[in-house]
Amino acid sequence: MSNQPSGAQLVISTLKALGVETVFGYPGGAIMPIYDALAGSGLQHILVRHEQGAAFAADAYARATGRTGVCMATSGPGATNLITGIANAYMDSVPMVCITGQVGTHLMGTDGFQEVDILGMTLGIVKHSWLVRNPAEIPAILAEAFAIAREGRPGPVLVDIPRDIAATRVATSDAATFPEWTPPAPDADALKAAEKLIGQAQKPLFYVGGGVEMAGAAQELRDLVARTGIPLVSTLKGLGTLPTTDELALGMLGMHGTRAANNAVQEADLLIVLGARFDDRATGKLNAFAPNAKVIHFDIDRAEIGKLRKADVGIVGDLKIGLPALNPKVGPIQKWVEKCKADKWEHRFRYNAPGQGIYAPGLLKTLSEKAGDKFMVACDVGQHQMWVAQHCEFPNNRAHLTSGGSGAMGYGLPAGLGAKLGRPEMHVVTVSGDGSFMMNIQEMATLNRYNIPLKIVLLDNSSLGLVRQWQQLFFEENYSEIDLSDNPDFVVVAKAFNLDAFRITHRHEVDAALDRLLAAERPTLLHVVIDPRENVWPLVPPGASNADMMEERWDEPLDSY
Amino acid sequence: MSHLIHIELDRLEGSLLRILGLIERRGFHIDGIELFDLGETKRGLNVTVRVRDAGRTLETLNLQIDRLYGITRLDADPRGATAKPAKAKQEARA
Repeated sequence: MSNQPSGAQLVISTLKALGVETVFGYPGGAIMPIYDALAGSGLQHILVRHEQGAAFAADAYARATGRTGVCMATSGPGATNLITGIANAYMDSVPMVCITGQVGTHLMGTDGFQEVDILGMTLGIVKHSWLVRNPAEIPAILAEAFAIAREGRPGPVLVDIPRDIAATRVATSDAATFPEWTPPAPDADALKAAEKLIGQAQKPLFYVGGGVEMAGAAQELRDLVARTGIPLVSTLKGLGTLPTTDELALGMLGMHGTRAANNAVQEADLLIVLGARFDDRATGKLNAFAPNAKVIHFDIDRAEIGKLRKADVGIVGDLKIGLPALNPKVGPIQKWVEKCKADKWEHRFRYNAPGQGIYAPGLLKTLSEKAGDKFMVACDVGQHQMWVAQHCEFPNNRAHLTSGGSGAMGYGLPAGLGAKLGRPEMHVVTVSGDGSFMMNIQEMATLNRYNIPLKIVLLDNSSLGLVRQWQQLFFEENYSEIDLSDNPDFVVVAKAFNLDAFRITHRHEVDAALDRLLAAERPTLLHVVIDPRENVWPLVPPGASNADMMEERWDEPLDSY
Repeated sequence: MSHLIHIELDRLEGSLLRILGLIERRGFHIDGIELFDLGETKRGLNVTVRVRDAGRTLETLNLQIDRLYGITRLDADPRGATAKPAKAKQEARA
């Protein structure tokens, strides 16, 4: 009897059998049997300092490596603290397995200590979830959980394990497997119809989302762009799928997109939408979006086809199989392509901001250029996030980790540590703001504990800048609860966590500071003091068409829009 | 205008809540529910729904329900002509 494994031991041995190397988590009462089995198992466990950090770190580990992220927490508050991270992974289709402890089955439904119905609470933000009622099923359930997290459109799954189920010994093995998922090949007739539309188009345009990278089809996309010569706009998550330096890459579309990208979308007569979902931040006012364009929509998730915009041709299937099969005879589009390129040049970003203060867009551009091919950013949420998307160059895919669909402040620091653990060879930089950074500031302790040489650029404008910008522009300068000028001294705080830390306040310090940051071998924070009045430009006002961009140019009078 | 959706589903933890929650969250009223037994591992569910939010379509809702795991059959509006068997997911696994 005692030779039989416990449910908890089956959890650990099955994770190992499934190839898991790293788990992010935090122990507590109901999950103690699993942590008991974890000790000495050889599975790497990263102890974060808040469960939300575990979920974000697992999410970024998955995005950076292409593998499935794993996080664990105990019942009740441990489990609820994961929720923001689960929602984040769901919105951005990130494969993640979340394991939660639950109170013993005899206590479930009695308002037991640290009991919450985590399965019920997360129904709307997971692909699937399980409450384990028989320990013998643990290997099969975990194998299925990993399969579902990855197959089709990826996403998070949750496995809730009551304490007594984890503690019970049972006669079974961890050798569970789950039938492998075969990516569905797209329909040949649909591909033909798409080729025909592309052949007829005079102003075709690729609109690329995160789905291309998730399908492992970045190279296939690059080949397709090269053989068709069709220009491309990208969503926030799609940046880097085609190198941002490519002359056909017109940049990000949407609310804080480039003028070249938004102009191209408004003028295009054909949008070839690949692994994207017409998010409102990308489309602006939906019925004014790409008003002249027919739509080819190619996605692994057929529920996305036609959800928000009618597709003239819908293609359901795997992009990695489908993109190489697309061989359209492209018409005479040279004039269109030249116009797009000219627009890109004409509306390129300027970096000659007045004054001697640090201009964050310029700093970020320089940072990405200095880091070069090894650049990977884990971004927080706010003005700095949009500046990263606008101004950093991304020569690689899987290098721009950002909380897109859910826009979760606090993502950057735990995401950075998860990404750095998964891709130690990269220059992983967390770019954060003073608002976001405070939301998971405790994870500096995790950096110190494991000596993870993450580089942090903290852009500090002593306020909630993006909210302040909207209050300035759309709420008649009624500034409400955006002042953070009583922030702590971030350099002192970082040093208290045993990080290296230093501060810059003037433009002439930027170069040397970035060199020092990139050369650092320990976890290091660069505190950058910037002007609180700086805004993100250009901007499509909420509810407006992407054709109506507001912009600030130093070579034009400010009231020109 | 209301529609009847006929669903057959595995008896899994939370499966009914998952479906009903999805329908409401995706912009539909639920006007009627009928649950029936299909043996030890399956049950059937008839839901009468009505569009609540502008721009939402029954077609997309059906695909979103069908995307859930443990759904073995989904007929959109079986009173109409377009009853179609659902589920490519399980079959897609080799």
